[in-house]
Amino acid sequence: MNRKAGNVIANILKYGVLIIGALFTLMPFLWMILSAMKTNAEIRAIPPVFFPSKFSLENFTTAWKAAPFGRYLVNTLIVTVFNTIGVLITTILAAFAFARLNFPGKKVLLTLLLATMMIPSEMLLITNFITMTKLKWIDTYQAMIVPWLASVFYIYLLTQFFAQIPDALYLAAKVDKCRDFKYLIKIMIPINKGPITTITILNVISNWNSFVWPLLVTNSREMRVLSYGLVQFQTEEGSAYELIMAASCILVIPIMIMYLFLRKYIIEGVTQSGIKG
Amino acid sequence: MSFRKTGAAILALVMAASLPVAAFAEEEKTIEPTEVTFWHGMSNTQEQVLTELTDRFNEENEYGITVKLVNQGNYGDLSTKLTASAVADELPDLAQAYNNWLTAYTDKIVPLDEFVENDFDDYEDLVEGYRAECEQLGFIGALPFNKSTYVYFYNKTMFDELGLEAPKTWEDMLAVGEKFMEEKEMPAFGVDDLAGFLEASLAQNECEYASDEGALFDNEAGLETLEYIMGLYNNGYARLIGEDDYFSSVISTQRIGGYIGSSTGVSYITADDFELGVAPLPTNKKAAANQAGTNIVMFAQDENQQAATWEYMKYLTSTEATTEWAMKTGYLPVRVSAFESDEYQSFMADDITATAAYSQVDAFFPAAMFEASNAVRTSVNTMFEEVVLDELEPEDALAEFVQIINEECDVE
Repeated sequence: MNRKAGNVIANILKYGVLIIGALFTLMPFLWMILSAMKTNAEIRAIPPVFFPSKFSLENFTTAWKAAPFGRYLVNTLIVTVFNTIGVLITTILAAFAFARLNFPGKKVLLTLLLATMMIPSEMLLITNFITMTKLKWIDTYQAMIVPWLASVFYIYLLTQFFAQIPDALYLAAKVDKCRDFKYLIKIMIPINKGPITTITILNVISNWNSFVWPLLVTNSREMRVLSYGLVQFQTEEGSAYELIMAASCILVIPIMIMYLFLRKYIIEGVTQSGIKG
Repeated sequence: MSFRKTGAAILALVMAASLPVAAFAEEEKTIEPTEVTFWHGMSNTQEQVLTELTDRFNEENEYGITVKLVNQGNYGDLSTKLTASAVADELPDLAQAYNNWLTAYTDKIVPLDEFVENDFDDYEDLVEGYRAECEQLGFIGALPFNKSTYVYFYNKTMFDELGLEAPKTWEDMLAVGEKFMEEKEMPAFGVDDLAGFLEASLAQNECEYASDEGALFDNEAGLETLEYIMGLYNNGYARLIGEDDYFSSVISTQRIGGYIGSSTGVSYITADDFELGVAPLPTNKKAAANQAGTNIVMFAQDENQQAATWEYMKYLTSTEATTEWAMKTGYLPVRVSAFESDEYQSFMADDITATAAYSQVDAFFPAAMFEASNAVRTSVNTMFEEVVLDELEPEDALAEFVQIINEECDVE
């Protein structure tokens, strides 16, 4: 009886903390959705109004009409998918080489790569842009995908995880005549599903949110991406926040759907990497 | 027979040679059909109106010129993109720009002096302040396009309640501020563009702002100006924008008596529960009002492109187009004849913002432009917030501003 009561209290505490945590995470999200339904006066009211006076979807239709979001969505998807596949390939191969293979100049090369992380990405914008114009890649998908196909940060991150896998595993595989590539595919990747999933998520999000680069290398409306759609509602004199919020909802929906489908893998990945420490 | 032929030929030659140059030029003005790219930072209504005007040009021009509008985000994005494109030599034929974006690539700008001289309808008809701005580079580097000015927006209902009139002078402004503080415990003044406010206030006190030689207001007139400004802020008559982004939302929610902002910002003010008033900027020794908004700058390289771009520039700045543009967007016409047209006058009769803006048209001045003007603008904005937050005395505030400007200009 006592123990049961103790369990109940423990559960209440547990769920209480979880609910508070969930509220904190969901709040901005809820705020975005509610704000997307407010009128301009409501969104600027002081003290702030939490619920709109009527739940109207007008802002969504206005926002949707203001820009070809369908097209932007397709473009964003294309860029995100191809870039992420590319990033995973380069990251995994490079990390394997740095963690496992021995070749002359390995340390120097890794140091050089790490040194490039010190250069702020803003500094690279103009030089990369010039390269794109020289290649005549302006207004193409490859201009948005190719320059970001390798990320030193992800390579470094994954190298650390790969390096933690005991040598014994590699040597045992070698004894069994397993080639490096097969070892990478069959053993290293499955063991490191966690960090690889994390890298995938980070990369998808950064693609989804990237703004300045896609804006620089595209000119036609047909090639623009989702984040560009948000700018439609900002001017020098003021912003139509209710429309920005509505557009933000539209922007976030695909990511939500992706999460629902990949939830299992994402949670698995995160917990796995957690256990492994 | 042969003599006659030769004679006729000679006669023809002589006649051809004696043709006036102008007629000759007119004959040569053939533009091959081409596409002109125009990069802009207009969105929403403004973009729609620009598209309407451009569609009409594309349809009606006799040369088969097609202008392609390319939205490049907001001004900040557009400026970044122009800078990058200038380095890569990939500039568009035409772009909206502020002069101070252009200092890094003035050599890429097509001077318009000859175009204006040979083929432009009454250059003097353009508003004087705008012309001065377009000539800041030492040549005509642009034509004015989406222009606006700063005005004082105020809550007329509150003013009436307190028995106040819109401030006409600096003293009025301080008196209004004091009254608001006493009766409502609320500031009556704010500015969206702090650096622009400092520059305008100095001009109102007949004092220069800055140039390549650094700050030019380290003197009596400059100190008077700072006394006025710090008097507003240190007494709580004025406030900084803080977390609110734009004063248009602060006035909409009735948390301030009034503010200085761009005349086009009026569309972001929601005056549902009060009456909005609009007044020209308060003056001191003389009237001076910032002009804002971008100009259109030509970068087209090829002669035919330039000619085609010029046709479009002429069209956008024509009395007819600028009147329509102004009435539909809230920007100001770029021509005096447009301001004075019956169409715009009757529009203005119902539009308090346009009325206030027009009443100070003779006081328009362009922001000072020099090599470091963009950097100075950013630093002054930051410094302005600092001196207000630190509640500095006018002398100290003056010293801080002078120092930061001189630093940006590399002056001792």
